[in-house]
Amino acid sequence: MWPYRELIRTLTLADLKNRYQNTSLGFLWSLLSPLLLAGVLYFVFRHLFGSEQNFAINLLVGIMAWRFFVNGTTSSLYSIVGKPSLVTKVYIPRQILVLSTALTSLISSLLEFVVLLPILFVLLGHLPVTVLLFPLIHLIYFWFIFGAGLLLSAFYVYFRDLNQIWDVLANILFFCSPIVYPLSVVPANLMPYYLLNPVTQFIGMYRDVMVAGDLPSLYSVVVVIGFAIAAYLVGSFAFSKLQRRFAEEM
Amino acid sequence: MSAIIVDNISKKFRIPHEKKNTLFQNIVGLVKRQFDYEEFWALKDVSFEVKKGEALGIIGRNGSGKSTLLKILAKVLYSDSGSVALNGKVASFLELGVGFQNELTARENVYIYSSILGLSRRQVDRIYDDIFDFAELKKFETMKLKNFSSGMYLRLAFSTAVHATPDTLLIDEVFAVGDEAFQKKCRDKMNQFKADGKTIVFVSHDLNTVKELCQRSILLNEGRIVTMGDTEKVINNYLALLQRK
Repeated sequence: MWPYRELIRTLTLADLKNRYQNTSLGFLWSLLSPLLLAGVLYFVFRHLFGSEQNFAINLLVGIMAWRFFVNGTTSSLYSIVGKPSLVTKVYIPRQILVLSTALTSLISSLLEFVVLLPILFVLLGHLPVTVLLFPLIHLIYFWFIFGAGLLLSAFYVYFRDLNQIWDVLANILFFCSPIVYPLSVVPANLMPYYLLNPVTQFIGMYRDVMVAGDLPSLYSVVVVIGFAIAAYLVGSFAFSKLQRRFAEEM
Repeated sequence: MSAIIVDNISKKFRIPHEKKNTLFQNIVGLVKRQFDYEEFWALKDVSFEVKKGEALGIIGRNGSGKSTLLKILAKVLYSDSGSVALNGKVASFLELGVGFQNELTARENVYIYSSILGLSRRQVDRIYDDIFDFAELKKFETMKLKNFSSGMYLRLAFSTAVHATPDTLLIDEVFAVGDEAFQKKCRDKMNQFKADGKTIVFVSHDLNTVKELCQRSILLNEGRIVTMGDTEKVINNYLALLQRK
């Protein structure tokens, strides 16, 4: 894809422009929505879990991490079907369409996290040094999302109800991840399975480095890198097989 | 040296009796045992070569496989068997203005379209003024594309496309749009490409343009090559074929 780096850049920038410029408040809206969501969830769940340490901050970090996953995979899902002329009228490596969409989500997410930092500072009173590990975690997370996006976008060409199915699955996954509740409410006998959820692992790592100031556990590092590699390998293999008939199915 | 070698390619399309394109319909179909689709060979055992600097015309009736063949050359479709070898940088013009986005300015769209055609930013910078001069749209470079008239849109797309100096051009009828002046500009540009030694594969119903541009042509009928060779002869065969029907 290297010879097409210019195309990746222009498509990503055009995507960002389309996403933000067309609303009057642009980027501000995209920031407001997670903050409002966090606010609502805070008021709903604080009676249950408000006594947990750093409940509000953990909620915010969890939501930001979740948003990257759900926005990244959902927009990637539409990235092939949404650009029919680039699939049926011209040759470009089609992974580019997914990559540039995933990159757009990455940039949006980075901006959200940048805004999160001062909030963290105010609520915590300091910023842990381990925050410096954030880019590394985010990069692994991105690779995971890109892999999932390849898989989803390719199957969506053939199965046009996949978006509905994915909506439902994502909703289930949201409640199977420790975003609005702490890990401690998960029954001990289910815990090993629960921890296999990659989103849980990622959220845990963000909270480790951004809130608690701990290094993430070796187990979680191995699990997330494993998930990222697996998602990418499965995604790109399926994509390269399925893309051969994209132009016929559009 | 050959710019394009097509070796024995065949392409089959599946035409389902009932289009199933959701997972739900597919599951229902599995249960009811409906896999029924018809196979349709759009191309069958097609082989030819195009030399470097040559212009090859492809003619045939509607549904004869011309566009399918061009799309396989453009790597948009994949053949079911056989192989295609392409040498040099190929640009396909199956449609003008691929990737144009209405919400962006003419300037931004030129950069997008050029990068789709494989140019780097620096290369676009160099030809940027030429593109707008040729399209006669210098005044409108910061205007959003949605405010362009269809003629302006076409001129911008055409101008961007022809400035992306590829070695091989695959052209499908796209230049048969626009008014007389625009078509003349297109024909002039194509002749200039030919004079510059570019390889051209040209699909068209406009027999006069084919005759003017291409020494050699292929006549396709029902996915097979009927005649290949001197354009004059191929066109006569085509006209005879039309008469017979």
